[in-house]
Amino acid sequence: MNAVFVLLPLALLIAGIAVALFVWAVRSGQFDDLDTPPVRILFDDDPPPPPRSQSR
Amino acid sequence: MRQAPHAPTKPPPVPVACAHCGLEVPPLLVCPGEEEQYCCAGCCQVRALIRQWGYDDYYRLVRAQGGELGPARVAGRSFADFDDPTFQEQFCKAAAGRRRCAELYLEGVHCAACVWLVERLPEVVSGLEAVRLNLATSVARVVWDPEQGSLAPVARALDALGYTPHPHVGGQARRLRQAEDRALLMRLGVAAACAMNIMFLQGALYAGQRWGMDPEFDALFRWLVFALSLPVLLYCARPFYRAAWAGLWRGVPHMDLPIALALTAAFAYSAAATVRGGGEVYLDSLAALVALLLGARYVQRGAQRRALERAETLRSAAFVEFARRLQGDGPLAPSVEVPLVTLRAGDRLEVRSGELVPVDGTVVHGYSQVDNGVLTGESAPVEVQPGDRVWAGATNLGARLAVGVEATGERTRVGALLAVVQEAMARRPPIVELADRLSRVFVSVVLGLAALAAVLWIGDSPAVALQHVVALLVVTCPCALGMATPLALSVGITRAAQAGIFVKSPEALERLRRAGTVVLDKTGTLTEGRAQVSGWRGAEAARDLACALEAECSHPVAQAFRRAYEPPLYLTRPASGVHETPGLGVAGLVGGLRVAVGNRRLLDSLGTAVPPDLAAHARALLAAGQSPLYVVVGDRVSGIAGVGDPLRPDATATVAALGRLGLQPRILSGDHPQVVVRVAARLGLPADAAQGGTTPEDKRDFVAALVEARPPDRAVVMVGDGVNDAAAMALADVGVAVHGGAGASILAADVVLTREGLSPLLDLLAGSHRVLAVVWRNLGFSLVYNAAGAALALAGIVGPLLAAVLMPISSLAVILSSALSPTFPAPQRRSGAQAGERCAGGPR
Repeated sequence: MNAVFVLLPLALLIAGIAVALFVWAVRSGQFDDLDTPPVRILFDDDPPPPPRSQSR
Repeated sequence: MRQAPHAPTKPPPVPVACAHCGLEVPPLLVCPGEEEQYCCAGCCQVRALIRQWGYDDYYRLVRAQGGELGPARVAGRSFADFDDPTFQEQFCKAAAGRRRCAELYLEGVHCAACVWLVERLPEVVSGLEAVRLNLATSVARVVWDPEQGSLAPVARALDALGYTPHPHVGGQARRLRQAEDRALLMRLGVAAACAMNIMFLQGALYAGQRWGMDPEFDALFRWLVFALSLPVLLYCARPFYRAAWAGLWRGVPHMDLPIALALTAAFAYSAAATVRGGGEVYLDSLAALVALLLGARYVQRGAQRRALERAETLRSAAFVEFARRLQGDGPLAPSVEVPLVTLRAGDRLEVRSGELVPVDGTVVHGYSQVDNGVLTGESAPVEVQPGDRVWAGATNLGARLAVGVEATGERTRVGALLAVVQEAMARRPPIVELADRLSRVFVSVVLGLAALAAVLWIGDSPAVALQHVVALLVVTCPCALGMATPLALSVGITRAAQAGIFVKSPEALERLRRAGTVVLDKTGTLTEGRAQVSGWRGAEAARDLACALEAECSHPVAQAFRRAYEPPLYLTRPASGVHETPGLGVAGLVGGLRVAVGNRRLLDSLGTAVPPDLAAHARALLAAGQSPLYVVVGDRVSGIAGVGDPLRPDATATVAALGRLGLQPRILSGDHPQVVVRVAARLGLPADAAQGGTTPEDKRDFVAALVEARPPDRAVVMVGDGVNDAAAMALADVGVAVHGGAGASILAADVVLTREGLSPLLDLLAGSHRVLAVVWRNLGFSLVYNAAGAALALAGIVGPLLAAVLMPISSLAVILSSALSPTFPAPQRRSGAQAGERCAGGPR
């Protein structure tokens, strides 16, 4: 059972890393728009068509 | 536009759908022999572009979502002002490397297919690196490389696809809000993570209490729980401490004060117990409490932010941002688009037919008519010639004008009115809402009870007393009370937004429920705001000749005449020698016959008399509030029609419903007093409820007087659409901007309606009643619960642990009660009214 003394703080450290990643994600604006990403699953990953003409 | 067939053909019997938007193509635009038909030039152009770039998947995506397309609108300008240094400095930022980025609000975005299409633009526009479109706000973040391209071609490409871009303004306030939202989300994330981990560890501790645990593990878990609770109490709970302290400083008991007290007391007690190694520890309840409260706040802010952002973008799209500066003198000088802020006095601008005049100035070249409706409320055209003054916000109805700049921005008349609006909004005193007053009383009562509990139980021991005080504070936690009002209002606002009603602040809903007087603008609010022709009497052939003549004229009456009576294209003969006399009418030759269309003064100038039967009809038209329009063929009057500004189809019903609700409708208008009185009569209102001939300042004073004289629990609501209503709306208790309102009215209003007609006003009033009913229900429940909980805690029956369990249950009940109530009706499908709009990229 002495393993608990090592494992628990280790588990909490991993949790802390997860929270740090969350904070970074919020700071870089990834949670600002939660409505558009869900619709992006409708898009296919088609290879881009050869550009037929450039815009003026 | 498509070429009309030269030989008369029968119209096809089957309705044809537009290849782009799917709406019906008007018969006169159908070209037999073409495999694809379009309902307008916008759709034709957009579809050609989509095919050219190989993006046909767009239509598949639209169908995949079961969505509908509307007719495409294209502005068709060069967007050269987007490359101007002033514009770049104001709206564009530097991005990674040497790139630049800008945020543009796009019109016409409605579904995922638009996102797909817009985000593929970097493939076809050189220099454009990335586009990211936010579907909820219709704002696209554009990143481009200045050495390979510029912003103007990007804007042109977006416009060509039907998504006209505008610079996204929002600036300081929006950035502040975004920073606050992010901070709240971070606090919520940390609190939730810590609370859940604390619960795991606390579970072990409870098991230990039941079945025994070695002391070193007990100590380990206790200290870990303590360590995890530190970030929650010191970082995540900071907003509560700040608010409670600010309230104490001002002597006002803030709702967060009991929470702050409970957190502090319980934390201190638990910390002491941890250090001493014994006693009850409540850190798990505290962490869960903080996480729950922050979660509720996050939901609340999200709802409010959406409605506010939508209202802001509507406003920013409604203001004119660019002007066409003339390079050089003379009537044929070329013009270049520049941002409005770069203009100086003495510049010359080109104002094309159908565009808004962007500045106050004097006409240098050109003869035309302008519509000053946005300022005066009246849309009768005013003649202008070189030397006449024109005002910012007027619409140029006739030919191209060259205008010399005299005043721009805030120094224009429109700008001055806007400044009045801003000042009035800043001065508006906050109404202390019922829930606010209730919460102050509640907090004081809770603090008193806590003191009482301390006194009652101090006899036993300080530890027991503290326990009961903490239990009391936690069980009466104004979580339920604190959430009852804001949550119900936020959910109400979100539902209203889905129904096309954007409420900028929750207080507006509360004030709407107590509405006493409703003041309505006439032109554009009660009426359609544009001329309509009806009531033809005379020969049909004469009517067709008149249509042929009016086809050469761009006067709003001419357009109205053609809208009402235009025959299929293949029957029209071309007109020649067309001469328009301002103020009289238009005359010319059609098929060899001399035709003239105009008013009474035209007849007098031609010396023609009106036959008796038509004269009787003319009198009938006048009595009905319309102006007679005479058609002269050869030298006889062959027909009469009436010109008027029709009431909106639902205006009479809405005014009647307002009366039934006990509100007193009043009408304020800049139009002629007699016309206003007649409109009031048709709506069923007494003559003294209507006032005509009012300037924007008069409207403002009228509403200010109403607000002064009203009983304190009755609110004054002002409904309007123009700049001339904006000052009055800012002063009223609630300002409502109807569909199609000018930018200034959207700015000043508390509620923005985006559905056509006046009946959304009734939906708004009914919805506000229902929302307030939900608020009362929530408040009632939480009061009953709190009273019972406080009594039990005082008696010592409920300990802190049980209190911490009961508290989330009450919050859940309030949440469910708010979220499940149907306050605003679900939006109906888009009506067929939009299908009949002309969308040929002309004046809107």
